[in-house]
Amino acid sequence: MDHKVTATMPGLVARVVVNVGEKVAEGQEVAVINCMKTEISVKADKPGAVKEILVKEWDEMQVGDPMVVLEI
Amino acid sequence: MLKIIKPGIETIVEDWPGRLGYLSKGMSASGAMDNVSLQFANLLVGNPTGEAGLEVAGGYFEAEFMENTVISICGTDMKPTINGNPIPMWEAVPVKKGDVLNLGVFGEFGFRSYVAVAGGIDVPPYLGSKSTCIFGSYGGFEGRKLAPGDVLKFGKPARALDTLAGRKLKKGVKPEFARTWELRAIPGPNTCPDYVTKEGMDYLYENEHKIQHTSNRSAYRIEPVPEYFFARADGGVGGSHPSNIVDHGYAIRGTMNVCGNTPILLIADGPTLGGYINVLHVINADLWKIGQGTPARDKFTFVYCTREQAIEERKKQRALFTEDNVTK
Repeated sequence: MDHKVTATMPGLVARVVVNVGEKVAEGQEVAVINCMKTEISVKADKPGAVKEILVKEWDEMQVGDPMVVLEI
Repeated sequence: MLKIIKPGIETIVEDWPGRLGYLSKGMSASGAMDNVSLQFANLLVGNPTGEAGLEVAGGYFEAEFMENTVISICGTDMKPTINGNPIPMWEAVPVKKGDVLNLGVFGEFGFRSYVAVAGGIDVPPYLGSKSTCIFGSYGGFEGRKLAPGDVLKFGKPARALDTLAGRKLKKGVKPEFARTWELRAIPGPNTCPDYVTKEGMDYLYENEHKIQHTSNRSAYRIEPVPEYFFARADGGVGGSHPSNIVDHGYAIRGTMNVCGNTPILLIADGPTLGGYINVLHVINADLWKIGQGTPARDKFTFVYCTREQAIEERKKQRALFTEDNVTK
């Protein structure tokens, strides 16, 4: 089953720190959003394997925008 | 006492009006980004309205009370809960030792929420204020954002706790929250015709301006100005860019300078001087709206205002924070 990890804060994508196929644990950082000149960590809210990365550096995010698809 | 479990994106101790009187020493005033919400929150729990509370930016905050007290939460709606049960905002709510407060949701309208506790947050005042200056690393709780495990003490409540519960604002008193924030603004000292074209000032006053993601407690940036904005080809002795002037002191909280092509509202922790033109100044009564503007999402509009109107609006706003506006 697919599960989307979503942005928790508006801002720009600083980087994605996982690769397709990689297994991630619940609470593991998958991406970083830049806002308020601060790096905000976006963490997997469920364990799974990275199926698809939906964003790239400098993409603008709003709260709830999907960033990474996990196979859970 | 309150033990921080999750500090969220940025939670700090702030009071109002902050650390006044030190601009000439290069120290900004700091203070709550939304002073209106902080003052209402304090009013509801019987504190002096400028008492220190917690400024929670962006949500995802959780903390455990280590004693019985009364709290109130004002600002953006982060869907606050105690032990998982929703609690009202803009109202004094009793809490017990062991209760867990959660502000778990990013606000749909607005960006910052304020938690006031009966008696206030007991941190040592530094140069007359309990406010945190993040970039100066002074004031507040150890001069920094809160972290998991931090324990905050409370001051002595001004009234018996059982008299506070249920106090709320009268209907129509609560400020309106939005996604586009209308800021009344006086033209600054460096405007048209010497520094900015008439069309340039019209651009500021007649358009919506998206808040940039780089905005924080020091500065709120909006989109770059168009080429026709500047009246000069360069900054003369001030520098090569037409936004440059010889360094001068900036006005306290709310002034907008233009740095290169980017207009920047200098606010709580903003710089006290610099070498850029100052084109307008948001009136004191509207400073709270800047603090509720969400970076990378919300927009500002600017409405022309005179100094006399600004003074009247400030008086009207100050009159809001009284018992006349509280009910049970």
